[in-house]
Amino acid sequence: MNANTPPHLGDRDHAHGHSCENHAQEKITSGVNRRDFIVSLAGGLSIGFFLGGGERAEAQAPAILETQVNAYVKIGTDGTVTLLYGGSEMGQGTMSGLAQLLAEELMIEWDQVTVEQALAGKVSYLTGGSGAIKGRYLPLRTAGATARELLVAAAMITTGDNVRANYAANAGAVTYTRPADGAKLTWGYADLAATAAGAAAQALLLALYPPVAPATTANVPLTNPANFRIIGKPVERLDLPLKVNGSAIYGIDVWFPDMVFGVIKHCPTFGGVLTKMPAKPSGAIAVVPVKAYDNRGAVVKDSINAVAVVATNTWAAKKLASSLKVSWTLPASTTTIDSAGITALAQRLLATGTPLIAEPAAAPADIDAQVNAAIAGAAQKVSGVFTLPYVAHATMEVLNCTAKVTFSGSTPTACEVWAPNQAANSVVATATAITGLPATAIIVHTTFLGGGLGRKIEQDYVSQAIQVAMALPGKPVKLTWMREEDFGHDNYRPMALATVNAGLDAAGNIVGWNYKVATPSITAQRRPLAAGAVDSQAIEGAIKLPYNLGAKVTQWFPVPAGIPVGYWRSVGCSLNTFVSESMIDILAKAAGLDGFAYRYKIITDARALAVLQKADEVSQWRKSLPAGHAWGVAISQAFGTWVCEVAEVSETATSLRVHRVACVVDCGTVVNPDSVEAQMQGGIIHGLNAAMWSQTTFVKGVAQQTNFNKNRMMRIGESPAISVTIIPSTLPPTGTGEPGVPPIAPAVANAWAALPVGKRPYSLPFFPGAKMGGL
Amino acid sequence: MITLNINGQNYQANVTNGSTPLLWVLRDILGLTGTKYGCGIEICGACTVLIDGQREHACVFDVSSAIGKKITTIEGLSDDNSHPVQKAWLKCQVPQCGYCQSGMIMSTVGAVNAGHHGSEIASEVKNLCVCGTYERVKKAIATL
Repeated sequence: MNANTPPHLGDRDHAHGHSCENHAQEKITSGVNRRDFIVSLAGGLSIGFFLGGGERAEAQAPAILETQVNAYVKIGTDGTVTLLYGGSEMGQGTMSGLAQLLAEELMIEWDQVTVEQALAGKVSYLTGGSGAIKGRYLPLRTAGATARELLVAAAMITTGDNVRANYAANAGAVTYTRPADGAKLTWGYADLAATAAGAAAQALLLALYPPVAPATTANVPLTNPANFRIIGKPVERLDLPLKVNGSAIYGIDVWFPDMVFGVIKHCPTFGGVLTKMPAKPSGAIAVVPVKAYDNRGAVVKDSINAVAVVATNTWAAKKLASSLKVSWTLPASTTTIDSAGITALAQRLLATGTPLIAEPAAAPADIDAQVNAAIAGAAQKVSGVFTLPYVAHATMEVLNCTAKVTFSGSTPTACEVWAPNQAANSVVATATAITGLPATAIIVHTTFLGGGLGRKIEQDYVSQAIQVAMALPGKPVKLTWMREEDFGHDNYRPMALATVNAGLDAAGNIVGWNYKVATPSITAQRRPLAAGAVDSQAIEGAIKLPYNLGAKVTQWFPVPAGIPVGYWRSVGCSLNTFVSESMIDILAKAAGLDGFAYRYKIITDARALAVLQKADEVSQWRKSLPAGHAWGVAISQAFGTWVCEVAEVSETATSLRVHRVACVVDCGTVVNPDSVEAQMQGGIIHGLNAAMWSQTTFVKGVAQQTNFNKNRMMRIGESPAISVTIIPSTLPPTGTGEPGVPPIAPAVANAWAALPVGKRPYSLPFFPGAKMGGL
Repeated sequence: MITLNINGQNYQANVTNGSTPLLWVLRDILGLTGTKYGCGIEICGACTVLIDGQREHACVFDVSSAIGKKITTIEGLSDDNSHPVQKAWLKCQVPQCGYCQSGMIMSTVGAVNAGHHGSEIASEVKNLCVCGTYERVKKAIATL
């Protein structure tokens, strides 16, 4: 039997999860988007359905015709309402959260919802910046409401009565009450869908709800929040049934009977290029040279920085790659790509470099001197120097991508890509650049992501898979980065070196605050920054602080280091909040107050005050801690969401134990409180990993930590008990994917410093070099 | 060609190298992709399966050693998410990205099968979850 042929097709189906006891309950939609997987909820039974390799599944599917009512809503002849999801589900729950917005306005029940991952296209968006709910709260409600009103318009066309008050949409049906005699007529959405999608319904919609300039679309009414049935409720996530039985398809799970498997082997040194192509070893299907991806655009640099080894399975490819001798030409700059050297460079920049002023706006040329003068005249002068390392993303699912390029002769004719990605339209652009094909000849499937954390916005791994597929015409190729490559060739969270000099008056008020941070620019690695422009992501968390800081300045010194940097969950806030909230605590101690009392004294922002007060209230446990325990508090605002965290710690012989964390979050209007809680819980653990242990160091351009054994992370037994409290709000929603991360490192640092035998940590991670043992 | 008994069914797999880890035979050759690759060095636990009821890490378990034994993967727990551990996971809405959860669930099932109860189970389940679902894993385990 061929290794690439599944021995039992039936079991193959089982592996991808659409085997179930009651096939009558399966909801499988048909039509152009059938290539993607579908998540459905049907009487509590969910079915994952992946058509990537599923011609057989397609043949089994019942013949259901669908009508696309608008860009986000499809209605099947069986009554199935399918909502299209244009983002990337990487654990944050927005596949369900966005469906809540649509379902609320479409007047369907949560158990009537089916979600389908959209192919890359007009509904796709970049998943990042904790922006899915924030950016789509009104647009998707409007899309749902528009679909609802089109269905009502279809009923109006049927009856000839255009008085909206005579119609009610509810639970997937439109009911008409005839004024003359009170008689009721009811249509399921399926009965109305074809008419709703027609020109007459569109015209009626525009007549009933004339556009309000400058908009040209119907001004449909949205549901009054007081009547929400689904928004604000802790509904069960649609994807989770697939994630407890192995049927959720991540990128790495894409599988075809005729697939081949490749692994990447990069030059271990950043900047190195291939000297000479190695011969194909016995047992390999191919060895393919792979050019570097240029972050400044979807183009391939003219430099080969990796080879892909392709075989009949990933393990065979890995073994062949490990023993393959490849010679690389290293750049002269190699010796400068070194952690110690980069820190020294940052120190020189802080001492003698020319900063860019991030805050205040329109600062005078002598702002630094003015602030220093205010500090010089203060009753107490306090300073701190803080260092943060590069940190790898280490998503649980390593980078991988599957691609297939079809040729006519030597000319590519079509390209299909399956990628765990955070930017589907960037994947299209990458495929266009490599294949030369127009976007219309490219199909991009976004799979589930086994974590994204910002890493899967990048296109390097996608570019590589497409390059390999170009060399193997017609073959689906899955390219996987083994864990060592994933750690060793990341776009890391940038290092940072920061100093804060501050002055206090006799009453402990801050009279001067001079914040300087040297850190690389993620943006500048993609496109040149305008002269004098500050990378807002480098200084977020260091500006707009919610305190009265007296004379203040925030200065940025860009570090031109050769290490690739990228967006790491909460980006600049994960750096600067450690610095600023540690420093506030240091000043509290100088003023003789605890972390709450001092913040109450200097806080200026009402929402910051509210999360602080609530955290004070819910962490009363901190007032009767066991001997040897201490607490610390920190606040941050990231992506518009305020979070306050209180941590309880104690010291062990070699480490620190975090026992308990109280988290209070104000993210405006809440769509799913259960998801908000989950994101805070997860953000805290993620932030703790980075605070305690995570770092990547470099020696002569080579990453030194390439698996979890040298990049320790928290296990369940040492994880703190976490409580999450949500501030009720009617303000517009803001994100929750990232904002749980920033406050935990300073909260724990502040707790550690408060221990009787404690010390103030100025560097992350707290325990560099910690090893992680086996299970 | 070797025969493996997986989730109660015999599978034929074209494996020429008996030292190939079971993980890659399951995933790449048989297409049973519920069992995940995470680290390859037995640290993260994403590849946890049961072999004759015992927890094993498929990333370092030679396929030749699995011949003649009963292999249980995440796909074999139930046809309808009705296994008690699956039900507890859904009730507590445990997964986030979900990638580690196959291994997390299989570790829990193994610990339950080994006779552990309540908080004992949690101390047996050491799988790595980068999303940080631990609070809810603990909550779900407490219901078992």
